[in-house]
Amino acid sequence: MAAPMAAPMAGPSELRGKPASPGRALGPAFRAPAPATQSLPAGGDARAALAVAVTLAIEELRVLAAGADAQSAGVLDFQIEMLLDEDMLEPALRRIARGEGAALAWAGAMDAHIATLVADAGFPDKDALAENSERRGSGEDAFADDVERRGSGEDAFAARASDLADLKQRVLDALAGRARADFPEAAIYVGHDMPPSLFLAHDWSKGGGIALAAGSTVSHVAMLARARGVPMVIGLGPLAIQSGQPLLVDGGEGLVRLDPGEPVADIPVPPAVLPAVPPVAPRLEPVATEGFRLSVNLNSLADLDAVDPAAVDGVGLVRSEFLFLSPAEALSEERHVACYRRIVTRFAGRPVTLRLLDLGGDKALPGLIEGGPASLLGERGIRFLLAHPELARIQARAIMRVAALGPVSVLLPMVTLPTEVTAMAELFDEEAARLARLGVPARRPPLGIMVEVPAAALTLDLFAEAAFFSVGTNDLMQYLSAAARDNPAVAPLNTGSETALFRLLAQISAGARALGRPVSVCGDLAGDPDAVARLMALGFRDFSVAPSRLPALRALLRRPATAEG
Amino acid sequence: MSEPSPAFPRERSGTRWQTEVEVTHGIGLHARPSVAFTRLAKSFPCAIEVAVDGSADWLNGKSIVKIMGARIRRGTRLRIRAEGSRAEEAIVALGELVRRNFDEDRKHGRPDGRPDGRPV
Repeated sequence: MAAPMAAPMAGPSELRGKPASPGRALGPAFRAPAPATQSLPAGGDARAALAVAVTLAIEELRVLAAGADAQSAGVLDFQIEMLLDEDMLEPALRRIARGEGAALAWAGAMDAHIATLVADAGFPDKDALAENSERRGSGEDAFADDVERRGSGEDAFAARASDLADLKQRVLDALAGRARADFPEAAIYVGHDMPPSLFLAHDWSKGGGIALAAGSTVSHVAMLARARGVPMVIGLGPLAIQSGQPLLVDGGEGLVRLDPGEPVADIPVPPAVLPAVPPVAPRLEPVATEGFRLSVNLNSLADLDAVDPAAVDGVGLVRSEFLFLSPAEALSEERHVACYRRIVTRFAGRPVTLRLLDLGGDKALPGLIEGGPASLLGERGIRFLLAHPELARIQARAIMRVAALGPVSVLLPMVTLPTEVTAMAELFDEEAARLARLGVPARRPPLGIMVEVPAAALTLDLFAEAAFFSVGTNDLMQYLSAAARDNPAVAPLNTGSETALFRLLAQISAGARALGRPVSVCGDLAGDPDAVARLMALGFRDFSVAPSRLPALRALLRRPATAEG
Repeated sequence: MSEPSPAFPRERSGTRWQTEVEVTHGIGLHARPSVAFTRLAKSFPCAIEVAVDGSADWLNGKSIVKIMGARIRRGTRLRIRAEGSRAEEAIVALGELVRRNFDEDRKHGRPDGRPDGRPV
């Protein structure tokens, strides 16, 4: 490979698209199934999805019961009977009829059922409940104990709450298993577009890349690819590529070469290392000098390894919706706690800002929320959470439990009106009171808002209830220009609305100052040195960027280092 | 299925058969006994309902959710009624299951009373 990047024109064996994430990757193509199979219609289909998941769960339980000892089989038989009972499914089906997705309907109905058992009997040990749902399969021994120990006085009926929590999780897992479809490691993903959940479920550590017929440089999956260092080319147009065909993706040039016939040795292996983190990092200090703050955005726990916590002022944005790859995970309080705890302990003592699940648009969790372009102006972010408070309560409890361990604050996504902040604050207060009643250590964190809806951006003075502001420039730009960020046909309108964006940013900066609230910028704009210079001129001092953008920003923001411990 | 015991107290009105039995099991109809009860109930083609003590609320005897929800404890008078094919046989079998303490004494048996085929 002498200088393939020098080739200015796309030859017959080359496809020219647009660069979306730099780096080069060589591997066999994986053709994604047609988009039609990826988004099944909701509604009537949710009933079928739940029915299939319940059947799967029953089959799993029967297999387990067949190989179990008699006492364990007793527990499993009980769970099977519960799932076979139409009365068990009925509340979930009612929720589906009201328009909820299968996973949320099931989890909500089961939580309500469990809450009745717990409330009726004053179930004493909530932790045991949560724990049980985590250690499925070993939960059987609890059964015999119940019979023996709880027989006198204690309530054996309430003890069944843990079985229900277990069943809830098993069916959610079955729902997720149906929705998940990974592809081979080190392959080049070839398709029309790529759902972020698929990107996140895939193991990129062995290399691989992405070649898309459509797509956008500002889509979530492009953002994820850049943050993870996965080479990606978009806008290739109709693709005549077979699965298994060798491909070279050049994310820097925006080229895809078919059957490159190059020795693999010429390609950096693995290509998916984060290019921006030097192998031997010099001793870095946070840049919290001269009033500037540089924080990092996290999209996954894998990002934790790409960041030296001592080199940043904290985590400015955790996109929590990317941490959970299935409805089962998103609906598991313990799973939330485990993720947040890892982040907070890793950043020992530095502030961590967790954003509540920003689901909708291209961020879907099949069974929970189907997403799609329509939801960009619909039930997205806090709107979805307030419409489905069970999910918000799970996340609120998990965050407050972890907030007891370190400085945590919470960002509310897609806020339009102050009443939404009030409603979410009430929800947090209620869950804080509940945790206090149960004696669970917790702390109620400050709530700030994402400034990404123009209506909120223009009325910051009305948001005194928000503890801080964070500007999401990608979405603000999309909503300001009325041009979707992932639609190539209107991409020039989106990027061309920069003047409008900066006028609004000036107003946001002034508005936040007038209220005396901190304001930061966490969108892609904060990772662009030219734009950051303009943002600084507008008074912004607090930036949060992807791990790969840290070195460039540090160079820009850094002032002659004062004494630093 | 065992022959209906001639001694088992039961009454008939039309095609409906009814019996009443006291729950003497240590805890009552918690998980394992409920499984035994509903599985046996589901093995009969007739409609089966239960009511607790003096309650006029008749619950589906084939639904474990309903049976568990009734929180049937030790000392509860349980009325069982069945209507349709093999109704008499059903109430006798279910009544006897309750009287036998749901076969819980057979510690290593399966909850529905079937032997699990394993050495004890």
